[in-house]
Amino acid sequence: MSIENNERQLIKFPLRKEEDWRTSFKSKLAKFKEGFIEVDCKDWPLSWKDLVKLKSLLERSGFILDGIYSQIPETLVSAYSLGLPTNPLLSKEAEGNYQTQQNLNQSEERVLFHEGTLRSGEHIEARGDVLLLGDVNPGAQVSAGGNVMIWGRLLGIAHAGKTGNLNAKIIALELRPLQLRIANEVARGPEGKPEPGLAEEAILYSGSIVIRPAQTIFVNKKTHTIPPTP
Amino acid sequence: MSKNTRIILICSGKGGVGKTTLTANLGIALARQGFRTAVLDADFGLRNLDLLLGLENRIVYTAQEVLEESCRLDQALVKHKQEPNLALLPAGNPRMLEWLKPEDMQRIVSMLIDDFDYVLIDCPAGVEDGFRNAVAASKEAIVVTNPEISAVRDADRVIGLLNTHSVEPIQLVLNRVRPKMIASQEMLSVNDVTDILALPLLGLVLEDEQVIVSTNRGEPLTLSSSKSPAARCYTNIAKRMQGEEIPIIDPSKEGSSIGDKFKRLMQTKIF
Repeated sequence: MSIENNERQLIKFPLRKEEDWRTSFKSKLAKFKEGFIEVDCKDWPLSWKDLVKLKSLLERSGFILDGIYSQIPETLVSAYSLGLPTNPLLSKEAEGNYQTQQNLNQSEERVLFHEGTLRSGEHIEARGDVLLLGDVNPGAQVSAGGNVMIWGRLLGIAHAGKTGNLNAKIIALELRPLQLRIANEVARGPEGKPEPGLAEEAILYSGSIVIRPAQTIFVNKKTHTIPPTP
Repeated sequence: MSKNTRIILICSGKGGVGKTTLTANLGIALARQGFRTAVLDADFGLRNLDLLLGLENRIVYTAQEVLEESCRLDQALVKHKQEPNLALLPAGNPRMLEWLKPEDMQRIVSMLIDDFDYVLIDCPAGVEDGFRNAVAASKEAIVVTNPEISAVRDADRVIGLLNTHSVEPIQLVLNRVRPKMIASQEMLSVNDVTDILALPLLGLVLEDEQVIVSTNRGEPLTLSSSKSPAARCYTNIAKRMQGEEIPIIDPSKEGSSIGDKFKRLMQTKIF
């Protein structure tokens, strides 16, 4: 298949509560030019099998699936396992237009929430903060433009501030990673186990990554502060 | 699918941890409990489930002919000589890998569910096409791993992939456990492994030389009423699959009682 059309185009699923995405998908698809296409799966949880079907459906109509957007972590993980570029963005601005989403610079007020353990080979990526409820196992990776917050054990790799935010932090209930990265700095994880029951955070301090007990007051930029409990 | 046939994938990610051995032994153990059991060799590239079951020389047709519709399913199924409840569907030519699709695998399994209570699928090592084909046809999974870091890492990866294929439940079998090495902290402990993988533990299998002997003979350990430690472990796993509550052995206590020592002495066949 020769591809003449190099434009980026995005087709959107309807929300789950509205209608089944399959019903109007083909008629929507007819409005696009053949070639590369990205799909915003909205809040549809899609398994690997669903994505394979979606991919072959697109291929039959002359499209090449070029990326998956979704609000659902499962869908992202499935897409990732298929080797598709994934993006957790696009949620609130479901009604907004594609161009503005492309030009969004650091959308730090947005938090990607993921529940469940990240296993070896899995990778979660977000432009803003990541809040993960579960463990990050050895061989798994979390990267974020903002902070990485892990309500669980960090045993894999975490990258905070990947777009250069030097104030980004990595916090975990049990911080014993293989590797930590903040902005462009890389550090190997500490040897040995930390004290049990002590949440720790990694920050960038005069150019190198240091680990200290997590601060009780988590100041997330100028917008809001969580006051300490009296 | 009307029946409650349990279609179980036995996988590990890493090679050589004991998938095929577990499949063969569980197959026999379940068949001995009276369940009609089919074992399906999905390792088309490197098939050897037939060897372990001692059925190599009885294979006439394989899954390949079934899919090509050049034979009937019951012609390809090889009944075990001592356990007629157990049937093997052999893997075909390694070149099947080139054309086999997940749908083909689903088709084979859907043919089996009418006649069997259990379908055990012996998954190939790795996470590539062979694995994907096998997963597509499975409903639940048993992940086999050894207490070593590379096997655990690969198992973790496989569990992640199984989750994306909505295979449930996933249970864990820890194979080749050496109580002495765990006691001296030279080997990952059971807790170390379950801590990372966070799966319900279906059973432990102790390291046992008898496994090698039985493999070479083509007679799975569970076939005889052997008292070998591994045979006991396999049988217990098969019972737990029925929901029977059998406590999982504690490796730190294993082999320390006088009775156990005597049994081991008996097995050395000095007497």
